[in-house]
Order: sequence, then structure tokens, then C-alpha cells
Amino acid sequence: MALEKLADKIVDTDVLVVGGGIAGCPAAAKAAEHGLRVTLAEKANTERSGSAAEGIDHYGGAFERGMTPKEWMEHVNSYSAGFAYGAVPWADPTRMYRQYANGMWAVEELEKLGVTMRWDDGDFRPCDCHHEGPFLRVHWTQVKPEMAAGVRKRGVNVMDRTMVIDVLTNKGKVAGATAIDTRTGEFIVIRAKAVVIATAACSRVVNPETPLTWKYKYNYHWCPSSVSGDGWAMAYRAGAELASMEQAPRGSRFRDDKVMSFGNHGNEGIPAKRLTWDGIERARGRRGSIDVRAMLEQQATNDPSYISLEHLPEDYQKRVEVAYVDERLVSFKIAEDRGFSPKSHWYEIMDNRVNQLHVEPGIYLDANFMSSLPGLYAIGDCMAGNHDVANAAVSGFLVGDEIPDFVKKAAEPVIDEVQVESLKEITMAPQHLKDGTEPTELECAIRYACDRYVGVSRAEGRLREGIRRLSSLKRVFLPQLTAPNPHYLMRALEVRNIMDVAQLHMEACLERKETRGSHIRLDYLDSDPSLEGKLLFQRLENGQRLMEFRQRAPMAFSENHKEDR
Amino acid sequence: MDTADNHYEEKFEFPLWKIIKERAAKKDLSYVKAALEVLPEYEKGIRYRDTAFEEAEVGKRAAELKALQEAARGQGQGGPQGGQRR
Repeated sequence: MALEKLADKIVDTDVLVVGGGIAGCPAAAKAAEHGLRVTLAEKANTERSGSAAEGIDHYGGAFERGMTPKEWMEHVNSYSAGFAYGAVPWADPTRMYRQYANGMWAVEELEKLGVTMRWDDGDFRPCDCHHEGPFLRVHWTQVKPEMAAGVRKRGVNVMDRTMVIDVLTNKGKVAGATAIDTRTGEFIVIRAKAVVIATAACSRVVNPETPLTWKYKYNYHWCPSSVSGDGWAMAYRAGAELASMEQAPRGSRFRDDKVMSFGNHGNEGIPAKRLTWDGIERARGRRGSIDVRAMLEQQATNDPSYISLEHLPEDYQKRVEVAYVDERLVSFKIAEDRGFSPKSHWYEIMDNRVNQLHVEPGIYLDANFMSSLPGLYAIGDCMAGNHDVANAAVSGFLVGDEIPDFVKKAAEPVIDEVQVESLKEITMAPQHLKDGTEPTELECAIRYACDRYVGVSRAEGRLREGIRRLSSLKRVFLPQLTAPNPHYLMRALEVRNIMDVAQLHMEACLERKETRGSHIRLDYLDSDPSLEGKLLFQRLENGQRLMEFRQRAPMAFSENHKEDR
Repeated sequence: MDTADNHYEEKFEFPLWKIIKERAAKKDLSYVKAALEVLPEYEKGIRYRDTAFEEAEVGKRAAELKALQEAARGQGQGGPQGGQRR
């Protein structure tokens, strides 16, 4: 069938950026600056979407211009001794180095884009207080409106309420993507020479921190629309490689949530106390030195842990308040409604459960941020081996700056209409079904499976049962998803992605029979020396789900190389 | 202290949030706009650029944590074990 009959709308562009967050907006803006036709598809509203929807209080990274790889490693090692139980530091050290070496350049680019980077007195305000090293404290309540305005000013075609569903390929190369309008339900085909995925990571494979009732099932630490793993799932289905899907760092978050700025007290250098349930303050091992067995024993007896700010002088109490404004204004109301005062209450930490698949897992990329699928890039939190706000912006600007070279050489994309027809049928199916399964019902079942059968400490029996249960959910309930309107269609398609990510996660956990990084196997508590430095890769090839351990690529530059913009 | 004490019973108000709400009501602004208006004035009392103050506070905490670690080592418990009751 001809494309014009299949699609309600066809968009032609040079570069399609999927996701209008802190990575996507810089990428789109920079590529447009080079004169390319750029389309930014955001399934929510770019002005208030993504993990920075309500603001952020920090911008982390390295701010010394022209770091060499040697200096970068010294910098990193001085703050963070890699991961705790054997090193799987980063998927691609070359790419990580490039992001850090260009950190200051990205700060300047953000200012050119119209984003406020300086403190009230007009200077930068560095905080050397986070375990990652130097940060900038920033007033980013309005970061998304500022970025959205900057992107539009550069002539980017911003398509809000547009959810990209699948990457289109032709003869092994990217040709564009399919999408839906989440308000009108229109089926859209976007022809593009290059696609840049900027859809963040995935939280919605596990339940959120809050113990509250049903309607709070989307009350995640980060904006729930940005954490359904859309980019990972679409990249995998298109044949791109993902890596480290077994890793699930357990960052500290506060129960009853929405107090992120409070949780990120480290960004303000706030010297909080960390207490066990009985008020004992315990010495904590430096990251990289924790004994797994001791940690598990401690968890069994001393959890939950709490943060206390009771002892702090008034100055720091006020800093906490300012951080609320910068990052999540609603935190005030939530804290007050529940009677939580930092001066007299402890905040329960949820740090021994998986709250998100991010940092290590993701789309595997080369030093130029391209995936194993030619023409498919990834930036921000959806990259394998990624960190933090600054890396999202830097990776976005780098890709936006370098993608013109690829686009100039790329042939005009040719859409495979048979592929589109097949994908459209899957995409629109929930709209044709009445009395089926509601998307949230199935999503809750997937989250339960991951919480119950995977969790933090994994073991063979539970993982096998989890995979069996997930497979059963996929076979029986996924085809029964029903969507009475375009918004619910978006939810149904998110659940399809969440299902794919959960399956990848479980399979990877089962495959890696050792403890390494944040992957803990109770039945294999030691690291396997034969897997030192090896990532677990997963890809789909001719319908086959393939997995293999491979050594990650070494640093491509000499230790005295200088990358500087 | 039992952290469950007084939950949902004792009213507490953040000073900055009170100012924000008052400004929003007075000028018919959104909370975000009111917050951006009041913040610069509120921040004037905060010693953001006083590095000596910050280093003293951070140093105090670091010394406390170091003492904890030494106590833990002295008890032969290593790593994250051991501590002192508040």
C-alpha cells in the first residue's frame, strides 16, 4: 500500500530527534544551527517534559577546558572508585571522556540557547560536594521553558504530543520513524536521514517509591512520561545493540517522593546525617570498597535508613528551601501536607531497591554516539554508560554539532512500505479492541514481576520464574490491550516498550552469573575473573534474541590527547 | 526518636513557601512566578559565597564520619558496620 494511504501525515526531515528533554533540545538546536532540517518529536509538551520538567538544582560535569584522558581518569578516580564490586565503569571510555572534556563548551552553548546557568550575582556557583566531583548549582526552575524557546528560535520543527513508536530501516540503515499524535490519534511517518534517540532511561519496570494508593502509580522520582524506556525498546526492535541491561544502580530516593531536591542535598554540600532505623549513625565505606556480603547483612538488620538534617544551622535549612524551588516546587506542599519538617523529622531513604534502570544499561554507542545501526544515534540517559544532567546536554550538543557530516553523506531515505504497514497494524491495534486489558493493569503486573522476581539481589530460580511469568503476560495480555482514545493508545504503546525492557532486563540478569557493578547474584556472590571488563550485549537479529559478552572498546585516544572546542 | 511520631498531626510550614503563597495571592501569580519573584530577596540572607563557613560545616561532618570509621575499625567491624547511637 502506498505511503500516502498508510499515513495520516508524512514529515520529511534531515534529522529526527526523539524526545525534547535536556539532551534532545540541545541536539536539535545545534543541528539546526548548522542549517539542517530538524524535527523534534516530544510525546508530552517540550516546555514541561522530561526529567527536568519541574526543574533541577544542579548541573554536573567537569569544567576544566581541554582535559586529557589521563587527567579525566584521575579526576574520576578521585571522586568515585568506579562501581562497588568489580569495575564495569563505563560502556565506552572514549565517549565519556569526550563528554567531560567538552563540559565547559556545553555550558557556553546552553547560555547561547537562553538557559540560565549563573547564580543570582552573575557568576557561576560551583559546588564540589557531590560524589561525582564538581557541580554547578543552578536555578533551573524554568530550564524547560527556556530550552523550548531556544529550540523554536533556531527553527526546529517541534512536534509536541507526538510519540515516536518505531524506527524505520531499509537495507540495514535508518530511514525514519513511525509516530502517533497523542491527541488526534493520527498515524505519522517521518522520513529522516538520521534519528537521534533522547528518551531517557526506564523506571516503570518497577513500582515507584510511594506506598500510596492506586492513583499514585505514576508518582515516580522522575517525570513518568520520560521513563517508559521508549527509546531502548524501539532501538532494540530495530536491531541496534543494547548493553548492561542487568545493571540497576540503586540511587537514594526519599519515600513519599517528590522531594528530589531534598534527596539531592549533596548538590548543595549539605552535611546530612545518615541514620539507621534505631538512630545509629554508621560509617559508610567509600564507593568501591563495599563488601557485598557485609552490605547484604547490614540491609537485613539495619534498614530502613534515614537522612537527618535536624542538626543543621539555619543557613543550610534555607538552602534546602531554595533547592525545592529550583527542582520541585510541589515538594513544599507535599512535605507540609504530610507534616514532614527537616527540622524535626527524618526522611526515609529508599536505597536498597531498584528505582530505575539507568547509568550503565542502555543503547550501546561508539565514540561518536552512533549505535550499531547506521544513522541511529542516542544521547542522554538512554545511552549505555551515562551519567547525569551535564552529560545529557553535552552529548546532545556534540551530536548536534557533528551530525551534519553524517547527513551530508547519507542518501535520501527510502521508506519500506511493507514495514510501515506491519508496524501500523501493531501500533493501532489497541484502538480496535473493546473490553480488553487496561494499559495500567498490565503495567502493574510487569512491575510486580520485576519487583518480585528480580529486585536488587537476584537468583537463578526467581529469575527463571520471572521470565516465565513475563512471557505469559506478553502472550496473553499484550494483545488484549485496549485504548479508548489516543492518550490511552500512548499508554498502551508505552506498556509494549516497558514489556520489552523488562524482558531484556530479566534475561540479562539471568545470563550474567556473577556479581558485578550493581548486579548482585545471591547464588554467585563473587565476580568472575573471565568477565572482567566485559559488557553483556543484547540485540535482535532476524527475529532471534542474541546475547554475548564482549570486551568494551578501549580508550581511542592517547593519554595526552586534548579534545577542546 | 520514633520517626512516626507526630506525622500528619503537627502542622509545619516552610518559611519560604509561606512567602511564596502570600506573594501569589497578593499579585494573582502562579506559584512558579511568585517563587521566582521572591527568591532573590530570600537568598540575600544565605551565605552562598562564604567558603570558610561551608568548609567549616563540611569539615565538622567529615571529622564526625572519620571518627565513626575509626571506631568501626577499632571494633574490628570494618566497612559499613559499627557506629554510635545518637
